[in-house]
Amino acid sequence: MNARRILATTALLAGAARAASAQTATQTVTFQIDAINQIAFAGSPSLVINTATAGSDPTGVTAAATWAVTTNQTGAKITASIGSNMPAGLTLSVNLTAPAGAASAGAQALTTTSVDLVTSITKVAQGAMAVSYSLAATPAAGVVSSTTRTVTYTITGGT
Amino acid sequence: MSRWRVAPLVGTLLLIVSRVVVAQTITVSGNPPALKITAAVAGSEPTSVSNNTTTYTVVTPNPANRTYKITAQLNALMPANVTLTATLAAPTGGTSVGPVALDLTARDMVTGIPKSTNATQSITYQLSATVLAGVVPSTNRIVTLTVLKFP
Repeated sequence: MNARRILATTALLAGAARAASAQTATQTVTFQIDAINQIAFAGSPSLVINTATAGSDPTGVTAAATWAVTTNQTGAKITASIGSNMPAGLTLSVNLTAPAGAASAGAQALTTTSVDLVTSITKVAQGAMAVSYSLAATPAAGVVSSTTRTVTYTITGGT
Repeated sequence: MSRWRVAPLVGTLLLIVSRVVVAQTITVSGNPPALKITAAVAGSEPTSVSNNTTTYTVVTPNPANRTYKITAQLNALMPANVTLTATLAAPTGGTSVGPVALDLTARDMVTGIPKSTNATQSITYQLSATVLAGVVPSTNRIVTLTVLKFP
């Protein structure tokens, strides 16, 4: 073997060795974040009207609860409805405190038709916000024995 | 060039080759499955997800008084408000730095890996995000693990 062959062989060996002794390794990490819209309400408030000022409608009452929201979208809103309408002469309203950057519609009477309560909810995670339920009655409601309504809240509309 | 002049040269080159051959190496078992953030507890930030199904294997040579470390870095920054964290379990005698948020800088993951190590350990990835990240379509980053002499 002449000198050139020896050197060429050695160079090949060196190249092969370098390739076999890599000091790095790579991984491809794939990831994604889906649209997330979560709301939660805590508390089962009870509302009892049992008094009035003479000459006025029965005195309305309020009850408190709390709610929380997480959304990673823009411009979401909260709507609410009840499964069946209130008895005649009775109005159940709800007022949600808005999270940062959003707008509350204030107290809204609940019916079987969804009503907007909070709008412009954008990329926020916030809890312990106030929910205020109000029950109002006119004398026409008469005596209403204990009953319940389930309020359904929905978060929609984010993009 | 005479044989007598070539012999020392070849010997030197072979020595270099032998030193390269015994250099430290690192390999991985493959790519982790996609990390997908899909949920949150209302009122809290999106729920992080993690995966620990992949491993790395590190082999170190046997020089005197030598230890090694493993670093990790990304090929591109993560999207804003999204964090990819990696944790490499340490081989015997080494020390894991624990969870490390990955970026463009090579970050120490495991230090003090002894000489003559041949070990396979777990890699744990965690993906976390705040709501400010918004919706992120499927994308990827390349994580480069490097084993180095340390110190």
